[in-house]
Amino acid sequence: MARGLGHYIAVRALMIIPTILILYTIVFVLLRLLPGDPILAVIGTKNISPEQYEELRRLAGLDKPFIIQYFEYLWNMLHGDFGVTLATPRGTPVSKYIWQRFPATLELTIFAFAVSVILGLATGTLAALRRGSMLDAGMRVYSIVAYTLFIPWFGMILQYIFSLQLAWFPTSGRLDPGLTVDRITGLYVVDSLITRNWTVLKSALAHLVLPSITLGIVLSGAYTRLVRNNMVDILGQDFIRAYKARGVRGWKVAWYALKNAFIPVVTLMGLQFAILLGGAVLTETTFSWPGMGTFIVDRIEYRDYTSIQGAVVFFALFVGLISLIVDIVYAMLDPRVKY
Amino acid sequence: MSALQKNLPIIAVLLIIIVGAAAFYAGKAAAPAKVETTTVTEYSTATTTVTTTVTTTVTQTGAPPTTTTTTTTTTTTTTTTPQFVTEQIVIGVTDKVTDLDPANAYDFFTWEILNNVMEGLVKYKPGTLDIVPALAESWEVSEDGTVWTFHLRKDLKFADGTPCNAHDVVRSINRVMTINGDPAWLVTSFVDRVEATDDYTVVFYLKQPTAFFLALLATPPYFPVHPNYKPAEVDSDQTAGGVGPYRIVSFVRDEEIVLEANPYYYGEPPKTKRIVVKFYRDATSLRLALETGEIDIAWRTLRPMDIEYFQGKAGFNVVEVPGTFIRYICFNTAMDPVSNKLVRQALAAAINRQEIIDTALLGAGEPLYSMVPNGMWSHIDAFKKYGDANLDLAKQLLQQAGYSETNKLQIVLWYTPTHYGDTEADIAQLLKEQWEATGMIEVTIQSAEWSTYVAQLREGQYMVYLLGWYPDYLDPDDYLTPFLHSEANSWSGTNYANATVDQLLTQAQAIPDQAQRAQIYEKVQEILAEDVPYIPIFQGKLYIVARSDVAGIVPSPTMLFFYSTLYKTG
Repeated sequence: MARGLGHYIAVRALMIIPTILILYTIVFVLLRLLPGDPILAVIGTKNISPEQYEELRRLAGLDKPFIIQYFEYLWNMLHGDFGVTLATPRGTPVSKYIWQRFPATLELTIFAFAVSVILGLATGTLAALRRGSMLDAGMRVYSIVAYTLFIPWFGMILQYIFSLQLAWFPTSGRLDPGLTVDRITGLYVVDSLITRNWTVLKSALAHLVLPSITLGIVLSGAYTRLVRNNMVDILGQDFIRAYKARGVRGWKVAWYALKNAFIPVVTLMGLQFAILLGGAVLTETTFSWPGMGTFIVDRIEYRDYTSIQGAVVFFALFVGLISLIVDIVYAMLDPRVKY
Repeated sequence: MSALQKNLPIIAVLLIIIVGAAAFYAGKAAAPAKVETTTVTEYSTATTTVTTTVTTTVTQTGAPPTTTTTTTTTTTTTTTTPQFVTEQIVIGVTDKVTDLDPANAYDFFTWEILNNVMEGLVKYKPGTLDIVPALAESWEVSEDGTVWTFHLRKDLKFADGTPCNAHDVVRSINRVMTINGDPAWLVTSFVDRVEATDDYTVVFYLKQPTAFFLALLATPPYFPVHPNYKPAEVDSDQTAGGVGPYRIVSFVRDEEIVLEANPYYYGEPPKTKRIVVKFYRDATSLRLALETGEIDIAWRTLRPMDIEYFQGKAGFNVVEVPGTFIRYICFNTAMDPVSNKLVRQALAAAINRQEIIDTALLGAGEPLYSMVPNGMWSHIDAFKKYGDANLDLAKQLLQQAGYSETNKLQIVLWYTPTHYGDTEADIAQLLKEQWEATGMIEVTIQSAEWSTYVAQLREGQYMVYLLGWYPDYLDPDDYLTPFLHSEANSWSGTNYANATVDQLLTQAQAIPDQAQRAQIYEKVQEILAEDVPYIPIFQGKLYIVARSDVAGIVPSPTMLFFYSTLYKTG
């Protein structure tokens, strides 16, 4: 079995490569199909001589044929070089921005992920246990409403209630003005724990609450439905009836059922993670969260080809790795999975 | 059942407890409270040892007491704390700091930050358009206007105590020329070479007499920078700064920049010790942050509706900043039918500036009848001759051009939806209505995103389009030459060329006498109003919205906000 698992992991890991290649190709082509010029977007309404313009294009590598640009960037990326930015400040390595921005997105994603799973499991279990009741119907409505919520709108409502009216949480950003923490992982919660900087930890957590709840609630809808349906299935199965027949009651039964309903939830987690990163883009713009999402949005406006390519490929690589991990966990959890 | 499967529920429960506890704890922390950081360097009694033998003690009115002790080999300067009125003020903006290197920074807001942490040989007096001595005490100009000699103050130091002298000025300006970044033309187009004849004298040799050289000197590419800046390449995240009232303590890109009073600044120390500038994604978050008290001041740029809201709300002050930012309509004079001067004149007569300002901008602007902004010397209301909403004149001109109510003039008007704020679509719509009110014009509105917009308009693909202009240096030349001189206006896509105008503008650049230059610029503005390659619409106003305990806001017509006069009352 150990050999089989190793083989399985290797195959799954190799499958990430074509996924990323396809994605890179799509992004590369789409960006060049769009009208607009990355050099002029920065120059704007200022004068620039044709020679200067050509020089800037040459420095950015935009004077070469597309096909050369395509393979050159691909080759550099294989060596871990994501190129340099085309928009201001021009010529900064894209990887520098990725390392600066990615931890912010990761931190938000982890917290939102936790919120969504917890809410999903709680609401789904409740609905299944009170099947057919008002509560069940209520949870079903919750799942649909949560799933269809528009993040910027929902975020603003939360900002209005919890920041403006109640003044419980800050509206935006990652820390209070003027606070800094020694950067170790870039996850402020982790860094402040390592450095025992409790002021920063408090501030970082307070800033995380609204964005992660916004994103978490939106994503919890899918779990609610899945957990409910699985739980209902499992609660009707023989082994549960056997438990009940032996006098096991109430929450203990629910607990056994939930354990069994968990496997499909793990699959969904892997799938949701990619959606989570997408949702993070909208959440970040709503809460001025300085992560990858806001970075990509900013750079698209300036047609910063290299930054967008680099960021998207990095995102894809990350999602690929997460789904690989989920698949492995899944394979280990469920003996029925063949590899 | 595998071990992992067995443990999963336990892990899940643990996770719930951790997150729940964290959320509860964070909730209790009640966010918007101002938290003082523990990492700030204090210099309440800064004792510094430097190896110079001469120390000059400057005491300015209002400056804190300074004591100086001198020994033969080392000088120990004990500076008693400047008594700051306020510990910290937080300013929120939707702009960004793009590049902390003055050799490459070329956007308005970054220039504002640079102006707070650096100075040039001369500067604008806050609140005015007057150029006053800064790092230079005095200067002379040669008779032909090409050699400018500046005498520096002898007490200049960078924010870490390193002395700053004439060689630093020369090094910094040469660095700008070597790097040749986006703003380098402000130096390279005018300066042939720059030399330090001794430690305190800087001599500029210009390529041609340049009447507005002082205005150029007040721009960041001329600011001396700390020796830590990389000598021959762009140093975008460098925080060493220059000689200015503030120094940069930390810069987290797109999050915040923290400034602290520069203890070595020669001038009056700032009233507030620490200024934090926080970057927001959009006007909505900026407005919320001000309302919740996360920030003390909301600066560039709230929407007109936000300004109106705060004007009527207790606890907030709205300060108007007169602008040198102008908005205008451009014509591609090589494209039919706007290649016909009569058509352009008719369009100029039909627009109603006040209606645009009142309706689209909710009053945040001033009608503009020339490319030279109101209040700047040499400005004349050249376009007043067409009037506003002058439909009779417009119809008459259109008839002369061969159009009628049955044979309508077809116009395509372009705008870009994000670059100039949310109001742009409204402005385009109003222009369409105003032009169509003649009954002889049919307007199609089109829009394109910024990066597409600039590329296509430069190529001359658009017929009529909206643009805006932030000045590089404050002189009528910067509002006329880049637009009208055929060697400088290729960016505009207007294809406008007029030999007389070219000659007048070149001539004016070399005349030192302002009155004589003004006469030439008036003539150029008259030709502009006759040829109509552009129609000026309005001059923008900006607003600083502050919580009512913030005082010392000095709005400057340069549109740069100087933080050193800010403080809090009570």
